Amino acid sequence: MANHTLAQLETALRERKLDRTLTTALPAWERREDSAASATDIATLDACLRGGLPRGQLSEIVGPASSGRTTVVLQAIAASTRRGEIAALVDTFDRLDVASAAAAGIDLKRLLWVRGPSISLGTSVATSLGSASGGQDAAVNRALKAVNLVLQAGGFGCVVLDFADVPPVALRRIPFTTWLRVQRIIEGSDTACVLMAPHPLARSAGGLTLSLGGRVRWTGDANRSRHLTGADIGIRIVSPRRRFDGEVSVAVITNDSHYNEPRRAI
Amino acid sequence: MFADVYAAQGSSFETLLSVARDFSPRIERCSPDEVVLDLTGLTRLFGDAKTIADQLRRTAADRGLCVRIAIAGTRTAARLLARDRVGITIVETGDEARAVESLRLELLEIFADPQIDESPRAHTSNPEPRIPNPVTITLRRWGLRTLGDLAALPADDVATRLGQTGVAWQRLARGEDPAPLVPSVPEERFEQALDLEWPIDGLEPLSFVLARLMEPLSAHLERRDRGAAVLHIRLHLVTREVHERSLQLPAPMRDARTLRTLALLDLESHPPSAAIDRVVVAVDPTPGRVIQFSLLTRPLPSPEQLSTLMARLTALMGEGRCGSAITVDSWEPGAFEMTPFSLRDSRDVHGHGPQSLRDTENKNCLGDIAASGPRLAIRRFRFPIPARVRVDLGIPVRVTSDRRGISGGKVETYAGPWRTSGGWWVEDTKKYWERDEWDVTLSDGATYRVFRERDTDAWFIEGVVD
Repeated sequence: MANHTLAQLETALRERKLDRTLTTALPAWERREDSAASATDIATLDACLRGGLPRGQLSEIVGPASSGRTTVVLQAIAASTRRGEIAALVDTFDRLDVASAAAAGIDLKRLLWVRGPSISLGTSVATSLGSASGGQDAAVNRALKAVNLVLQAGGFGCVVLDFADVPPVALRRIPFTTWLRVQRIIEGSDTACVLMAPHPLARSAGGLTLSLGGRVRWTGDANRSRHLTGADIGIRIVSPRRRFDGEVSVAVITNDSHYNEPRRAI
Repeated sequence: MFADVYAAQGSSFETLLSVARDFSPRIERCSPDEVVLDLTGLTRLFGDAKTIADQLRRTAADRGLCVRIAIAGTRTAARLLARDRVGITIVETGDEARAVESLRLELLEIFADPQIDESPRAHTSNPEPRIPNPVTITLRRWGLRTLGDLAALPADDVATRLGQTGVAWQRLARGEDPAPLVPSVPEERFEQALDLEWPIDGLEPLSFVLARLMEPLSAHLERRDRGAAVLHIRLHLVTREVHERSLQLPAPMRDARTLRTLALLDLESHPPSAAIDRVVVAVDPTPGRVIQFSLLTRPLPSPEQLSTLMARLTALMGEGRCGSAITVDSWEPGAFEMTPFSLRDSRDVHGHGPQSLRDTENKNCLGDIAASGPRLAIRRFRFPIPARVRVDLGIPVRVTSDRRGISGGKVETYAGPWRTSGGWWVEDTKKYWERDEWDVTLSDGATYRVFRERDTDAWFIEGVVD
């Protein structure tokens, strides 16, 4: 009997019929529960964010090229898959390096990778998707549709939309209501949605914006002995409601298997 | 009362089954040439046991079967007698032990190893000599020859020497049934068809037709506690062609809406070439799923939701563009493979066995990576971007590209070159690479990985360190 009742309760919870009955009026983020945040497993960042990226909110990780955006995003996905959750990456221009993802600790079986067109194909993209700028817009629209489908399906712990390489012109053409719609879909769910972009786009009231600025680290003075050892990523946290303002610095090391593969300096 | 019908070797089992089903709905398949019928209540329809046996034999003969029939109060007695005696044998209820006492002890082996009669050699004209059952050998050493000899032994002594097996054999020797009859359920076809009065063209009207067909199909599956493993859609076209699609489902499912959506999404990608005048939907059934939900673990999408999501994403992004990546055992830069995204492994968090051990090892490995701190990632251009590189004394000093988004500039810091090569042993020249790689930080602030192809002396940007 008890099992039957439990099963009924769980079914109702899944259908979100009891959300407002069993929880307090405050949203989960306000109650500061551990489960309300999706930890990134970067200790200094999680401490500053009081647990991690907020669930049920759209957050942004922004910055220029080589600022460490992909590193932080892959860390967040890796942390999510390590917790037994499933994650999704909508890769607008097919830029994920699988070796980097594996080195970051992502359980690849738990990552749904949605690959957009390989835009660096150059002329071929124009052939497949129309003109060059039209092709980029088509890729962006497809990525937005894909992320909508993933969020509507539910059950993902972390969903990332990679707009890092989308040209500013194409980004400006995205209506602002798009982000309101995304926010509306994930509201009340356990999904932490992350948008990776060159500059802030969504400006979600409940979410966060992590503004990154990075500098790679080299060792060795002599030309022949110099090599890349890592990066220092400065993260400035911007919270519209002024909950978590602050700055942290994260030291990142290079992917050993990637940089120490059997290559020989000549 | 039970009747055992034992057909001659080489007879069609389907025919034998159809004969049996003409008489009783409760039948049990014992071996490829033997069925047992439950005759309870049939005397009102057919008459006494002798009449039933006569009619059974006549019906079988009409269909080309030569059968032995034994009717007894227990299935065990009926089976033993049918194996031993030709023609019709009828035993009154309660006389089973006496009726079988004179039979050979070896007959009990049909219960000990039901596979014996199902092996192909059982039907050959010169069967190979069979290895006797160890219990039979023991009993023969004791000097027992008939079932009556075994039945007469004290049950306690048999149990002491042979254990529960001996007790079971002794009960069989007395003609007693070890378990109640388990009726064989006839194989059902899970199929729905609709002939249309007017041909339909396009997927929208087809969706209504599919909904109408899927709902009774789903209800049928639910009644039988079955799920669909494979969904077959057959569209008969006005051109007299048949457009056929089969969807392999990742998990047994029977939700009508999900099945319809999956069928429609597949037909969107593979539309029929003409208007449709007949629609047939069939499924290959499989036992339904048993799912234990938990309050302690985070809910994952159901297989129905996931299948629909993957079908929609595939329709949107293209075939092979959605799934899970796997690393491959290769030094080829950027090598990976795609596999379908599945939750099968993800759900087995409390499992045991090798899979669970692999999961544990995997988690430990991932935990070690987490403990060692964040790793610098690279954003890889799937097709490297051609670049113009000015070289001074063999060192790149300026990198530019026509590609928008890469401003390029003067090389501020560099490391390299690292020479790699591979794939020269493969005939496919696209798999061959030989290059010098450099990591460079440009004046625009970004750090790139660039390489020079040694055979063409062309420079490319492979990715951005990010």
